[in-house]
Amino acid sequence: MPVGSAATGFGVRGWGGRAGGHATDMAAEQPLWLTFIVAFIFMNVLLIGMAYMTLFERKVLAAMQDRMGPTRTGPKGFLQPIADGIKLLGKEDLIPAAADKWVFRFAPLVIFVTAIVRVAVIPFGGTIEVFGTQVNLFAADLNVGALFLLAFGSLGVYGIILGAYASANRYSLLGGLRAAAQVVSYEIVLGLSLVGVFLLAGTLSVREIMERQSVDLQFGPLVLPNWYILSQPLAFVIFLIAAIAETNRAPFDLPEAETELVSGFHTEYSAFRFSFYFLGEYINMIIVSLFAAVLFLGGTDGPGTEQFWLLGIVWLFAKVMFFLFFYVWLRATLPRFRYDQLMGIAWKVLLPLTLLNILVTAFIRLVGNGQVF
Amino acid sequence: MAWNTLIFYLLGGLAVLSALGMVVASNPVHSAIFLIFSFFNVAGIFVMLGAEFLAAVQVIVYAGAILVLVLFVLMLVDPEDLPEFHTARPVQRTVGLLLGALLMLELGLAILTRTVVGGFDQELYPGILGFPAIPENVAAVGGNTQAVGNVIFSQYVLAFEVISLVLLVGVVGAIVLALPERLGEQVRQRTGTISLGHPRGTDQDGDLALPSGPRGETPMPATPTAERTDEPLDATRELILVRDPDRYTTIGRDR
Repeated sequence: MPVGSAATGFGVRGWGGRAGGHATDMAAEQPLWLTFIVAFIFMNVLLIGMAYMTLFERKVLAAMQDRMGPTRTGPKGFLQPIADGIKLLGKEDLIPAAADKWVFRFAPLVIFVTAIVRVAVIPFGGTIEVFGTQVNLFAADLNVGALFLLAFGSLGVYGIILGAYASANRYSLLGGLRAAAQVVSYEIVLGLSLVGVFLLAGTLSVREIMERQSVDLQFGPLVLPNWYILSQPLAFVIFLIAAIAETNRAPFDLPEAETELVSGFHTEYSAFRFSFYFLGEYINMIIVSLFAAVLFLGGTDGPGTEQFWLLGIVWLFAKVMFFLFFYVWLRATLPRFRYDQLMGIAWKVLLPLTLLNILVTAFIRLVGNGQVF
Repeated sequence: MAWNTLIFYLLGGLAVLSALGMVVASNPVHSAIFLIFSFFNVAGIFVMLGAEFLAAVQVIVYAGAILVLVLFVLMLVDPEDLPEFHTARPVQRTVGLLLGALLMLELGLAILTRTVVGGFDQELYPGILGFPAIPENVAAVGGNTQAVGNVIFSQYVLAFEVISLVLLVGVVGAIVLALPERLGEQVRQRTGTISLGHPRGTDQDGDLALPSGPRGETPMPATPTAERTDEPLDATRELILVRDPDRYTTIGRDR
């Protein structure tokens, strides 16, 4: 088959379209430049959201520890993230003499890019009309969107392990090795916990999974939304635990355990290279929160979203804020796990539970299809 | 369609170049980076062919696999051995060259003689991909994820199960290799210890023992004081640096 014709479905609909020509529930077509504008807006929203996530974390932590948090920069410390960013830009960029220089420069970019590229498949709503033009509120609707998110999540750890190796520092290397072992273990749990959702939704496209949840279910007088947190509660809890471990956050922040490893894999990083690690970590938190909200809490689903699409984004924002608050809450509450406990939880507790969940869900699905009895 | 061709050559060229880089790089970690980059470009080509599922699986599986490769390099390869590591002996060079040529020949023959064969009788297997795997046929069964799933679990189910079994054997083998001898005993010995440098037997003894919290590890049965020959803990603790932590932290007197 010649190359040109083999690549059917590519380019015609742009990056946002689905190659492969899936016939059902097709999203509206839109020109490539519009997709780029939408993606650009998402990226910037994500970056600003990340900056204010740091302030949010400091404020909530301060409130939980009976402190004030940042107050000096701007009203109630509101300009603190911007001041921090400017400060980091002005710092000296140090590279250790023994470092593997190219890898040292390249590693922070890996974690940042793999984090931010994941926003492409997160849907912020359906198709809306702006000034008479149909605009999709998502950058891309891949038919393997959920796998895309998982794939780039597991690629992000390369930024950690390569940065750790390139630093030529023992503490960094220990942090990197821990991160690698942790991510390899928990990405299995993370992926398998979603299989139940995939089985119920019958698709891997994030947008379609979200749309399946906007239906209301009627149980006698009780009307419930078809959110997968209700039909997959076990998967939701496991996903949440695994996602916290995957983003290396407390209580699973072994790779940067400052009491043992100085600051783990980014000990040798300074200035803007350090801030790329910081950006990557916080963007990953936001993405994982978005992912959880879309897969388990119905995404933009909520009262009144049929009339006003903007309300859908408000609902999504509220759900994401809940998860982000949960992250900070955990950090303020729980002490760090010991390393063997961390591995034990993944392999001895979470993995069997996810497998059980898949088995039960698949069985129920088969019964629902009338293929068993 | 000129853009498609251009992007294909970009992806293909980068894949080949990084594969070359993987072979010639003198640092094994650099080799691993080139390898993942090469696989990444191949995944891009899969996306262009409309096989998104294959692309995603390619990235997920190989990203994990090469991560483990990097870990092996970091933990097992001594940096001082590297030059030795890369100047192969003449035998290795010859054999490697021969095998490489053989592989190239094989691939070339496969490409030259390729035909689109197989396919399912649509009456016997309704809803399963009929070959050739062109976009229309893939769309007819509901997308390429569904197509791959249908084919794997119908025609190739035996091969699939055999592969699963081989992987299972691999996992069991790894566990057997990693098991220390008399694993149960060692684990039991380790649970009672606090840290290095304690005189034997003091770390679980009555008032001196750390309080075992509600979620603490299963504590060792405390050694009865009457049987003990060691002196209780002094105010000073000797710092002992040992290779084997069990040597100085084992509870018991039979050593």
